[in-house]
Amino acid sequence: MNESCKILVERRGDVAVFWTDGYINNQGGEEIARQAYAQLETGARALVLNLEKTRIVNSIGISILIEVLEKVMDRKGVLAFCALTPTIDKTFRIMGLAQYAAIYPTQEEALRAVAAAG
Amino acid sequence: MTRASTVSARTLAGFWRQLSAAGRAGEERPLPGRLADAAVLWSGARAAAVYLREKDGWVRGADAGGFDPSFQMPEPCPESAGFVGDALWIPLASEGEVHGQLVLFGVSAEEGADVAAFLGFVLGSQLAAHRLSRQVKGAEFEVRTRLLELESLYDLGLSLGGQLDLSALADEVLFRSISLTDAGKGTLVLFDDGGQILYERNLGGEILARDRFVSWRIPDGEAVINNAAASVPTAGERLSGCEKCLAVSIAVPGRRLGFLAVADKESRDGSILDFTATDARLLSLFANQAAAAIETARLHRDAIEKERIERELELAAAIQREILPRFLPAVAGVELAAANIPARHIGGDYYDVFPLAGGRVAFLVADVSGKGVPAALLVSTVHAAVHLQIDEAKTIAELVSRIDRHLRRFAATRKFLTLFFGLLEPDTGVLRYVSAGHNPALLVRKSGQLDHLDSTGVPVGMLPNSTWREEVRAMDPGDLLCVYSDGLTEAVDGADEEYGLDRLTADVRERRALPLRQLSDEVLGRVNDFARGMPQYDDQTLLLVRRT
Repeated sequence: MNESCKILVERRGDVAVFWTDGYINNQGGEEIARQAYAQLETGARALVLNLEKTRIVNSIGISILIEVLEKVMDRKGVLAFCALTPTIDKTFRIMGLAQYAAIYPTQEEALRAVAAAG
Repeated sequence: MTRASTVSARTLAGFWRQLSAAGRAGEERPLPGRLADAAVLWSGARAAAVYLREKDGWVRGADAGGFDPSFQMPEPCPESAGFVGDALWIPLASEGEVHGQLVLFGVSAEEGADVAAFLGFVLGSQLAAHRLSRQVKGAEFEVRTRLLELESLYDLGLSLGGQLDLSALADEVLFRSISLTDAGKGTLVLFDDGGQILYERNLGGEILARDRFVSWRIPDGEAVINNAAASVPTAGERLSGCEKCLAVSIAVPGRRLGFLAVADKESRDGSILDFTATDARLLSLFANQAAAAIETARLHRDAIEKERIERELELAAAIQREILPRFLPAVAGVELAAANIPARHIGGDYYDVFPLAGGRVAFLVADVSGKGVPAALLVSTVHAAVHLQIDEAKTIAELVSRIDRHLRRFAATRKFLTLFFGLLEPDTGVLRYVSAGHNPALLVRKSGQLDHLDSTGVPVGMLPNSTWREEVRAMDPGDLLCVYSDGLTEAVDGADEEYGLDRLTADVRERRALPLRQLSDEVLGRVNDFARGMPQYDDQTLLLVRRT
């Protein structure tokens, strides 16, 4: 795992897939938010965040992810997470992210689900 | 249009329409901005700004219309609605609490009071609701964060209890510690039993230089908070690359296992926050969980290592048992007895007796350096070399040289051994011997006179191209030769005193007339009595040869 969070984004039609690698803290969360808003501005309907290479998230990172989620919901879009470690999975469920964003074990399942929701 | 009719025409429904329109125009615009936009649209003002009451004072939250960005809020802030110059100041209040200030430009003095009354109430209510919503969200987030901390402690206890991989365990502790304290960086270091670094992991950057890990003495049982770590040492160490630090020692009673440190607590606005007593308590709980789990993992690892050693020792003992002769040969004109007591930690003693042509008898006692399987394997190699070479060598000095070369060629480990090799012709009483660095053998004459047979060369396998001198002695009938390993003379009692050569000499000399089996048993009994049951760490070997 990298110390600073690196984000890779790939656009697939109206779905943007994000791969994170590293600590989702203030800096990592801000970078995710910046790129997420850019995707929303250019018409992305659904965001899929693959956190396979992230093992650590702090509360600042979570609060930023909640802001991103609120923004996506304002636009009637969809946000999904996939490939979470058990610790992060539980963290997201406790912190309320899972109430409005679906969590999938794999990226394939997440992509199938957001495609069906479209 | 009269003043009353102008304002009354601007209905509440009209304001909501303006507010909705402002919302649609900019979906990303926060509420204060939308309120400023709606206020301009509804009142017909030229420009507006909304100021918010924050912790540190008034902050301009948003503006609209042709607002002059250089405009400054007057000091002190107006407490009631009214004009200051051409600016109409309107406190935005609800339930007696002022949440913000609206300033409008371009509103006529006639309309000012009504506009202020309406917007003060409506925008105040909006801001109050917005602020309350934020507070509820914040409180909910806080509650969830506390729940996450509790769940994390519970999960950590569960996962660490079953985690015996020290590295995975340490990662889990470090990641959760950084995450739950919102730290920007963290370090976890574990020490081995000797106080050396066993594991280290930094995340987010170095807190302390590596060469200071061992000497960083964080007090046991209490977390150290240093919110001025950039300028003030933390537990005696000046930290590098961090502004604020929280550190705890990982320890079990009587033993320091390592330390856990986190640094630079993040905030949403990018500033670095102070660590709190709550953070310290949380990190201490993690450190306690970690200490218990690390100790469990260490004990498990030690148990596995102990089991491995036990298996190795059993194997070594089995090798040794197979090599030592089960029975001594009967040789005319010679009485023989031998005994070997293996130590708990297998050493490498070996003795053997060979009846040779012409009624001669050869015998040896060897003591290999080291213990365990390597020593047992070397004994096995020596055993093979002696049996292979004994018929080839013309003299025992040549035989020892051949054994030396054999070991250099075939032995898997670079070890050496001391060796006493004797050759007795019972008919003539001629005793030839080579002692390769071995303890002096005792030649006890029938009369009780003593002759020490000292070393005639260096230990076998120690130096290349070594040679050994062969010595000769005459053994008369009744003379007794006692060859032994140092496990016998170096047997210790509870006060760590050695049995020693003098006691051995005296005990053998006093019993020189006894049958050798009995003599052997009594001498070993004397050694055992001397040691008073203390565990011995080397094999004890005794070989007795008497010319009859």
